[in-house]
Amino acid sequence: MLFNSLDFAVFLPIIFILYWFVTQNNLKLQNLLIVLASYVFYGWWDWRFLSLILFSSVVDYSISLFLKKEENLRKRKILLWISLIVNLGFLGFFKYYNFFIENFVEAFKFFGHTFQTSSLAIILPVGISFYTFQTLSYTIDVYRKKLEPTDDFIAFSAFVSFFPQLVAGPIERATNLLPQFYVKRTFDYDLVVKGLKQILWGFFKKIVIADNCAHFANLIFNNSTEYNGSTLVLGALFFTFQIYGDFSGYSDIAIGTSRLFGFDLMKNFSYPYFSRDIAEFWRRWHISLSTWFRDYLYIPLGGSQGGKLMKVRNTFIIFIVSGFWHGANWTFIFWGLLNAIYFLPLLLADKNRTHIDIVAENSYLPTIKEFFSILLTFTLTVFAWIFFRAESLSHAFQYIGGIFSSSTLSVPSFDGISKAAVVLLLITLFLTIEWIGRRSNFAIEKIGIHWSPIFRWSFYSILIFIIFMFMQTEETPFIYFQF
Amino acid sequence: MDKFIKRLSVFVVFASFSYLLLIFISGIVLPDFLKPNLKFKKGSNGHLFTRVNQVKEYKNVDILFLGSSHAYRGFDTEFFKQNGYSTFNLGSSAQTPIQTEVLLNRYLNDLNPKKIVFEIYPGSFENDGVESSIDLITNDKNDLNSLGMVLNMKHIKTLNSYIYAKQREIINLDKNFTEKKENKFDIYVDGGYVKRKPSEFNFYNYDSIPKKWRLREEQIEAFHRIINQLKEKDKEVILVYAPITKKNYQKFTNHTEFDSIMKSTSLQYLNFNSILNLDDSYFYDYQHLNQKGVHAFNVELIEYIK
Repeated sequence: MLFNSLDFAVFLPIIFILYWFVTQNNLKLQNLLIVLASYVFYGWWDWRFLSLILFSSVVDYSISLFLKKEENLRKRKILLWISLIVNLGFLGFFKYYNFFIENFVEAFKFFGHTFQTSSLAIILPVGISFYTFQTLSYTIDVYRKKLEPTDDFIAFSAFVSFFPQLVAGPIERATNLLPQFYVKRTFDYDLVVKGLKQILWGFFKKIVIADNCAHFANLIFNNSTEYNGSTLVLGALFFTFQIYGDFSGYSDIAIGTSRLFGFDLMKNFSYPYFSRDIAEFWRRWHISLSTWFRDYLYIPLGGSQGGKLMKVRNTFIIFIVSGFWHGANWTFIFWGLLNAIYFLPLLLADKNRTHIDIVAENSYLPTIKEFFSILLTFTLTVFAWIFFRAESLSHAFQYIGGIFSSSTLSVPSFDGISKAAVVLLLITLFLTIEWIGRRSNFAIEKIGIHWSPIFRWSFYSILIFIIFMFMQTEETPFIYFQF
Repeated sequence: MDKFIKRLSVFVVFASFSYLLLIFISGIVLPDFLKPNLKFKKGSNGHLFTRVNQVKEYKNVDILFLGSSHAYRGFDTEFFKQNGYSTFNLGSSAQTPIQTEVLLNRYLNDLNPKKIVFEIYPGSFENDGVESSIDLITNDKNDLNSLGMVLNMKHIKTLNSYIYAKQREIINLDKNFTEKKENKFDIYVDGGYVKRKPSEFNFYNYDSIPKKWRLREEQIEAFHRIINQLKEKDKEVILVYAPITKKNYQKFTNHTEFDSIMKSTSLQYLNFNSILNLDDSYFYDYQHLNQKGVHAFNVELIEYIK
């Protein structure tokens, strides 16, 4: 079920009413309702893949109970490996099987050997990368004895399948989310209102920014050989805002929806396009994935302990694995590698934690230096997104070749350029609101809190109006569903 | 919780009124490119405004024509009048069965036709009907039938356009609007027909790849509802597939699927792409007949009607 669908607009109020009016006095019933709602939400797309989530839940629940009783380190390790093999096995099969087969065949062909293989028509279960990482975090934390395993299968299933963040995150840590299922949620007016505001802002990002940018990003990327350099630059810019609006919009809707049910999920985006260097960008972009890799890969690899060489090696591993997590394509790996290269000078100069505060925290505008730092970081990011969006590495290099040509000095030219100008206007409005709200959890959280209700409500009404006036009329799934 | 329900209800009312107000202001003030999901154009190529104004003057006609532009550009009311038939043409641009149903609910009883010639075209069955709905909302009155159509379509553009058209209707903003009967290409003929002025064949770059009509379930359902309604009212109905250019017709490979749906109604079904053999000189574009083509088509059709 898509958040931006009529189905969800009917589904959410029904679950909300049942949750707060029927199951409110019973924790078990609240959790059971969440599990059922989550399975309906996921099964709306393809009910067959519910078995994967259920199997994954049963495996990790059982292993964690064995881990609870087992003190023998060797046996504990075996249990952990079983969980890793099962979870990553599913992920590997559904997401990477064809990629590895095709690349092995190509590699052997290069050395003069040919193989007769065929790739499988595999449907990628929506959200598999997200819930796999979430369940893994549970088993690893139990193994590390950072978390007491749960006996309550319903609570655990609710944690694994929690519908607001099931298919595209934020990838929650068991230490944060699971304990929330142990305590009865009581209705909190402020939390629910905050949730509704965040949902509204999420829809604005997705429907007004991402979907409108998508039209032009798709047009230009899919026909990139036909356009001049300046149009290609615009195409990359449109994709830059498409992916941000799409993914952070999804995260806002997910976090806001969780709040409606009394849950507090981790922040996933924190105004990444206002970052002053690439290290800051990565502390602000897809935070739940970056910190997951930090906690479960970077630190076990040695993290920043050891010499510079070790740090550099671990950083490259993290970025490349992060790229590969996004999809079975060399473009994602290259995107990860490119970000590692961006990161390298900061790491070597020990300046990767220079900007941990909020930009222009005590002023309306950034300083000149901050402005140019933001601009440079943004430009590097836009450049890297070309690899992320391109169909293949050759497509990406052809696209970049088009940008670095004399035609970049000519005027952009493509169908619907006047509509594109309107989209640029919407992006400007969006960035302005984001800039004003950059000190908050989400941009409109505190905008208008000191205004009289009529002005504040007018502001929300105008946002709703813009959403309905600029929404695309065909179904527009979220980009990150494919990951 | 009580506070939440109370405040949410007040906000919903406030936001709804704000929405209506913003629709009205943007409809009046904003240029089209700043309101992509709000369309309102009084008067159109299909002359629907003039047609629905005229329909009120017609009662108890011999033949009622229904359908898309193939209908209002294909059934010449003047020609039928010369042959002794009183007719009215209720065709409209890109009319799909969903809009045909609305028009029938609105005008069938008054027109009370002896026969109905229902122009059916697979393209109308694969169309979502948005364009035609907006044409209807903008140029005709908006009653419960059109509200039902808008709600069933679940399309934001149709909904916004309906709200704006209704607002204009309530405050009578278009009371002085008139539509010219003649424009650069067409002349509106009494009874709803639109005659094309002589022009060259508008070359269409045919896609050589064979295609299939993708008929929409909701249009097929609306079609069957119309047929059942007309059968219940004992109306004689003829289903007519008007001629289109041969290349255009032959490009599609699933005519049998469409034909079988039409035949399943047990009504008389005439596919003039099989009955007539017209070359491009009978058309002004890839799917519309010119006056010479209309004449040839109507001469043949009247034989079946007799």
